[in-house]
Amino acid sequence: MTKGSDVPAIQARSMVIQIVMDHTGHSRHEFDADDIEAVDEAEIRFRELTNDGYIAAVRTAEGEALRVFAFDPTAKETLFVRRL
Amino acid sequence: MLSISRCAAQISRLRALRQLYCSFVSEKSPEAKGRTLLREWLTPAQRRQFAEQGFFDVVGGATRMRYRVQYGSVANVHEIDFEGKSGGILCFAPEGHLVPGDVMLARKIALEADELAALAVATRVAPIVSGSIRSL
Repeated sequence: MTKGSDVPAIQARSMVIQIVMDHTGHSRHEFDADDIEAVDEAEIRFRELTNDGYIAAVRTAEGEALRVFAFDPTAKETLFVRRL
Repeated sequence: MLSISRCAAQISRLRALRQLYCSFVSEKSPEAKGRTLLREWLTPAQRRQFAEQGFFDVVGGATRMRYRVQYGSVANVHEIDFEGKSGGILCFAPEGHLVPGDVMLARKIALEADELAALAVATRVAPIVSGSIRSL
């Protein structure tokens, strides 16, 4: 439990995920959006993958895919797809 | 008598273990992971359509044209005209070796998020008539 709170620490964290398509199906990289080091790592991963030709996409509230060109640490889920 | 019942219990335990192993392997296989990810990323309507009919429709992000993505990795995107009739077949796929669920998801994302780029790289073939595919 977080000190002075009824919310368990694990729930209070804002976990976000980057999913990379690969030959194993996909790999998931989960990180805490409040952890500066983890966010830096995720931003580097975003840049490396997009420079490598991966397309980054997020989901709209309706479930449609939207391409993104810049790293957004608040995006709950970002999917990286190999270029066509 | 006792040894027979012990043997039966052991066989039953082994069967249960085998079942557990098989379900673990099938859930962790690349194909299963690809299908799970695909289902997670479909809209509720697409998920329902895929579960009931084995394909799902995608609306192009730029032209609002409708495309039908069938299960599989090859030649499985059909253009659907405004009357709901199947038109040409589009062939395009992401680079590298990916499982069918991932290929289908990559196509959905390409058509929704960057339709014109997908159409630019796609090879268009005519619908299958009498077992043959004619290039357009």
